[in-house]
Amino acid sequence: MSKSIRLVIAVLVACVSAALGLSLTYAATAPRIAEQNRLAEERSLQAVLPDADDFEIVADAALLEAAAAAAGPTDLKDVYRASEAGAHVGWAIKLASRGYGGPMQLVIGLDTSGSVTGVSILSMNETPGLGTKVLTESWFIEQFVTLPAGFGDADVRALDSISGSTRSANGVRNGVAAAGRVYAAVLAGEEGGAQ
Amino acid sequence: MNEWIRTFRQGIGIENPLTVLMIGLCATLAVSTQVQNALFMGLAVVFVVTMSNILVSVFRNAIPSEVRIPIFIVVIASFVTIVDLVMKAFVPGIYQVLGIWIPLIVVNCMILGRAEAFAYHNKPLLAIADGLGMGIGFWLVMVVLATIRELFGTGAIVWFETTLVRLPAGYAPPSVLLLFPGAFLVFGFMIAGTRWLGERSAARAEARACRR
Repeated sequence: MSKSIRLVIAVLVACVSAALGLSLTYAATAPRIAEQNRLAEERSLQAVLPDADDFEIVADAALLEAAAAAAGPTDLKDVYRASEAGAHVGWAIKLASRGYGGPMQLVIGLDTSGSVTGVSILSMNETPGLGTKVLTESWFIEQFVTLPAGFGDADVRALDSISGSTRSANGVRNGVAAAGRVYAAVLAGEEGGAQ
Repeated sequence: MNEWIRTFRQGIGIENPLTVLMIGLCATLAVSTQVQNALFMGLAVVFVVTMSNILVSVFRNAIPSEVRIPIFIVVIASFVTIVDLVMKAFVPGIYQVLGIWIPLIVVNCMILGRAEAFAYHNKPLLAIADGLGMGIGFWLVMVVLATIRELFGTGAIVWFETTLVRLPAGYAPPSVLLLFPGAFLVFGFMIAGTRWLGERSAARAEARACRR
């Protein structure tokens, strides 16, 4: 009996001290991590819509609900209204699409006619060297700008994938297709009227 | 002091975790596609294995042997989480590429192996030597493997978007080197190479002993 209590206490002490050490590290790094995430998000937004100088997050609940429904299985995070010197120039859509190693956070830029201006990968857990080719093989991301205005799922499916990283490439392609659906279903109707 | 140096050198040479003990291969084969990734991954592993060795060794008399494995895992997992948070905060670019492999250091058998086989039975100073030696041995082999795979698999070595070395344009890189079969092939040749070196130096030592 006393022996088993000793074992329990040993594990308990180890776990409590580990938790203490971890919470201290977390407290020390949390503000910096938040800052890095904010910077990464800003850089992504700027990368997909280089002309825009202001991104305003869309807070209209009804619009977001309709957009999330249009995105379907892809998890819509945020929609940003992009403007340049006060004039509306497009949209940035942040969403999480399923890749091989979990959700891939993508930011997709669309101009006012609904064609893709750029795609940026905010975070992903794809296999280094294989899945990460979606990032390192730059032609893959760049090909999305050739999609026509008001593209649909079939247009995205017609684009090239990457052998060896099929599921990661599909993650990005599904994300872009979802952004196309969001534009067609919701954002296209917002054009003009929003100004 | 001599024992310290001997323990340290063992990890790099005759007991190298990768080419001799062959533990912790999974992460090595996966991450060694880019020199840049291998360097940072190796650095993380050196830190975790040394720190966990120190802690396990310092508390080796307080850790009951029945529950040693769960306690080792808690210790290792804590240091890995610390590395994970620090990398996220200070080198987000590298973190984004290494991603899942950093948390997976927890299950890198080399680290648990050193805690169990060495640190639990030795004094802290020696445990530091073992952790550093094993960690650096792991790091060196991984960087060499990554150099071969990146240079011949992609035709160039890239360090943060700057190309350091580029092979002549006529070279068509075989992408198999970047995939897992290529990793196994290159790694097999590296094992053969280390064994050849080891046998040669053993034969030399013997020859010297005979002459005496």
